[in-house]
Amino acid sequence: MDDLTEMLKGTLEGCVLEIIAGEETYGYAITRRLNELGFADVVEGTVYTILLRLERNGLVQVTKRPSGVGPPRKFYALNDAGREELARFWAKWQYVSSRIDKLKEGGG
Amino acid sequence: MNFRETVTGSDLTREWKAFEARAKALPDGHRAAWEQIKANLFLYGDFTGRNLLPILDGALGLLEESVADGQGVHEVLGDDIPGFCAALVGGKGARTHRDRWREQLNGNVARKLSRLGG
Repeated sequence: MDDLTEMLKGTLEGCVLEIIAGEETYGYAITRRLNELGFADVVEGTVYTILLRLERNGLVQVTKRPSGVGPPRKFYALNDAGREELARFWAKWQYVSSRIDKLKEGGG
Repeated sequence: MNFRETVTGSDLTREWKAFEARAKALPDGHRAAWEQIKANLFLYGDFTGRNLLPILDGALGLLEESVADGQGVHEVLGDDIPGFCAALVGGKGARTHRDRWREQLNGNVARKLSRLGG
């Protein structure tokens, strides 16, 4: 599906939090995961800016690890504040998606 | 950073040289993207550009990592380098020239108004 990015913008941060909640991971792997899910036009730069924001807001713990090739990689894991934020994200998502479904079904 | 460096910006020159040395090692496409990122980020620089250094360091790191992963520039940055740069500085309180001009203007107007007894 093309042009999903605009619609995704507000939710991408939550998606990234959810992926990090699963296991400690790094930018490239997160991007690949989103691409596999079908969000084909999400690029690593987008994920990188989200990760910066999460770091700035104190939601993730960052560890630098040497990689097989190239410079060391930054790995991200959720801290307690990140887990709370993720729970809030799913609550908000639940609200929005239930309203929109209702609208679509003509309930209003 | 000592006083001399603060005044002369010699530490900046050194960091810039280090950046450019790293950028030189990038393949052509990535280096072209680096030039574009720099051009776009300058809009957000403060007087010396010191606030941009950590941001540039991160962006360069991203390019370096992507080379190691065998990714092309387009896979990393898409078509929107200005948007990427805006997101990089966004919310960080990176104060731009425009912010400062706006503040100055607001200050001047407020002063004039108060002088008029408004």
